[in-house]
Amino acid sequence: MTRIMTTRRTFLATGAALGAAGFLPGGPGMARAQEGRVLNLRLDGDNSILDPGYMVGGTEVEAQKQCLPFLAEYVRDGDTFSWQPTAYVTRLEYADDTHLEFELAEGLVWSGGNGTVSASDVAYSYARMKESEWSGYFDALETVEVTGERTGVLVLNKPFAPFIMVTLCHGPGAIVCEAATEAAGGRFTTEFPAICGPYTYSQTPGQRAVFERNPEWTGPAPGFDRVVCHVITEVQAAELAFEAGEIDCTELGPDSLARYAEAMPEGTVLTTAGELQYMWMGMNTQHEKLSDIRVRQAIQHAVDVDSILAGAYSGTSTKSHGIVCPGLLGQRMETSYSYDPARARELLDEAGVSGLELTLRTLNWQERLLTAQIIQANLAAVGITLNILPMESGPFWEMGMEEAGETWQELELWLMRFATVPDPYEATQWFVSEQVGIWNWERWTDPEFDRLYEEGLSEGDEARRAEIYLRMQQIMEDTGAYVWINHEPEVYAHRADIDVVAAPSGELNYHRFQPL
Amino acid sequence: MIAYLVKRLGLAALVVVAVLLALFSLLHMIPGNPAILALGTRASPEAIAEYSARMRLDEPVWVQFAYFIGNALQGDLGADVFSNRPVTAVIAERIGFSLALICAGMGWAVLLGIPLGCLAAVRPGSWLDRVTGILSVGTIAVPSFLVSIWALLLFSIQLRWLPAIGAGEPGDLPDQLSHLVLPAFAIGLGWVGYLARMVRASMLEVLGEPYIRSARAFGLTPRRVVLGYALRVAILPTITLIGMGFGGLISSAVFAEIIFARPGVGKLIFDAVSDRNFPLVQGGVLVATGFYILVVLLSDLVIAWLDPRVRSSL
Repeated sequence: MTRIMTTRRTFLATGAALGAAGFLPGGPGMARAQEGRVLNLRLDGDNSILDPGYMVGGTEVEAQKQCLPFLAEYVRDGDTFSWQPTAYVTRLEYADDTHLEFELAEGLVWSGGNGTVSASDVAYSYARMKESEWSGYFDALETVEVTGERTGVLVLNKPFAPFIMVTLCHGPGAIVCEAATEAAGGRFTTEFPAICGPYTYSQTPGQRAVFERNPEWTGPAPGFDRVVCHVITEVQAAELAFEAGEIDCTELGPDSLARYAEAMPEGTVLTTAGELQYMWMGMNTQHEKLSDIRVRQAIQHAVDVDSILAGAYSGTSTKSHGIVCPGLLGQRMETSYSYDPARARELLDEAGVSGLELTLRTLNWQERLLTAQIIQANLAAVGITLNILPMESGPFWEMGMEEAGETWQELELWLMRFATVPDPYEATQWFVSEQVGIWNWERWTDPEFDRLYEEGLSEGDEARRAEIYLRMQQIMEDTGAYVWINHEPEVYAHRADIDVVAAPSGELNYHRFQPL
Repeated sequence: MIAYLVKRLGLAALVVVAVLLALFSLLHMIPGNPAILALGTRASPEAIAEYSARMRLDEPVWVQFAYFIGNALQGDLGADVFSNRPVTAVIAERIGFSLALICAGMGWAVLLGIPLGCLAAVRPGSWLDRVTGILSVGTIAVPSFLVSIWALLLFSIQLRWLPAIGAGEPGDLPDQLSHLVLPAFAIGLGWVGYLARMVRASMLEVLGEPYIRSARAFGLTPRRVVLGYALRVAILPTITLIGMGFGGLISSAVFAEIIFARPGVGKLIFDAVSDRNFPLVQGGVLVATGFYILVVLLSDLVIAWLDPRVRSSL
């Protein structure tokens, strides 16, 4: 037996040697992007809950789209979005306004010997979703009737025009394996109990998620054999990784988007997934300082939105004229007010208001603070003193909610941005009367708006639906409580030799990527 | 020595309890409903109620604290709010990366900072002393996150010598080491300056002591005087500084982990705070605090070992 003696001298010497060993050059050893048919992408965090019923959303949807069946998927047609049946179905069509028939493709098998994908899996999945945290997406679904091994009918409880686009194409529309899910206890988190899709899935927490070609998949082959999604939480870090050639595609923030637009790095192209975000400055119509509509209209005229788009967003976002985003039916192309400081001063004089001092609350994000500063300068030009109150996301997102305290009574102005889905109904739902004190922080009600909201849900005629949503936005604007600002795009920079496919809301669909 | 160790461990336990108590109080002073923040702004009331019950958010803070301490003593730090995985498992996956980064960062700082400090002290007023002084102040003044970004822009993007993101392929040691170089460089650079200045100041003081003059008078070589006699005494305050420096590196590592997209406990805690994932925050802080206390304790023990005067006073 060898006895190891340690003296003070040997301790110091050994420590130095070990320290030096830590710095031995390991060689570059870097996995450069796209060697063979490997795609390197960014994941903005670990996938914590892959279960569509209890997911957080975002990248978990991306994983579901590679590993679980869906009945429909988004397709882009020029500047607009529509849907198409996926490779998992041979038929998906309305028999009438409330009956949507489907037929699953043959030969689809679940992993782990869990049998074939059946219509009863669809019925199980959607019945389960109605009881889940994402049940709101399935309010219109009455039941799923199973008519055969691979056929069934989705029965709606009322005509609901956006059902396919909003529910079936999106993450909640994922179908899970009944047998495997029940065997896993009815819920799952970081592992799929069974998969049926182009890729298998594995995850190393904090580092990467890896999608490998699924040998049991009988549908269209994906363009890449392996997709490695590196966990990079900060978008700026992802941009640097892209520029270092370590990932093949990344989302861009506004600053980088402007930089890329000016001087595109060699071999890089940009793809815009969608612009399904709408930002506005809201006003509390019930606050004593803002209860006179002429004061609110004065503020509408006082804010120079073009300056905001140039100064805070480097000209990278689309000017907004309402809550319906670009590419969706009902998008407005103009507003009934314009930047006119002289008219703003007239309106304030008519209202008999002078020396007005207001507070604008905003998230403490760079672009929002720049926006707030520009608005501050605009309002100062018409005699309104604006105090900016930057806030952390916690208190910000509940400040207008009555059940969260008394802050809603003090709200005056705020900068708000909502994300939405590719149908205009979703954006309008937050402003109906029953949302006052929940998400309608402007606190106005209008019976016509509520009626139109219900009509828009069931209207099948696209032209009539567009009219409905145009009118609803006009009603909103006429309250004077909104200054529409912009629609921020979801833009991806990627290698020029890759065709990138993303949902309108920004989720990437790796199995539809193709090498060019 | 044993009594000293027991006393220090007892104090360490008290420090851990105090830190956790402060953490619990702070977490519950953060504005906003943790349930809404964790589940999203459009979560259903049922989901919010279930989350609140599961997290004991309706209980007084001291009750939550008592539950946590009781479970922690049994090795149970709770479960990740989202994935429901044990916090101990989540931390175990990442702690190795943090330890590697912190040790590598401090390691190269020690290897460069101590010799630089010695050389500067041996030749005070020389060009080397002046350059070391300027470099020391310079490296201390530049925040590690800036160094991270510069290093990444230069070595990963411009020169493409070193990888920009991640911790390397599992099982591939050269790859993992290459991924460690830039983050370790970034968090250790400031400590090169700290250590050089500390060693220089200590050495200058020790080199003026009578016993050093005596050693020189006996004809010992300058190398033996400096390394064999002066440095052994001058290094003692530096060891304390290194011990405390590990605490500072835990926070510096957060920036490096974010910028270089490396897994680690610092980033884990940072993300968990943003997500109001309280069990992960509490577990992560407990581990980080324990690590810091352990390193400080070790540095004290090493000093006692190296310095017979300290040892005899225990």
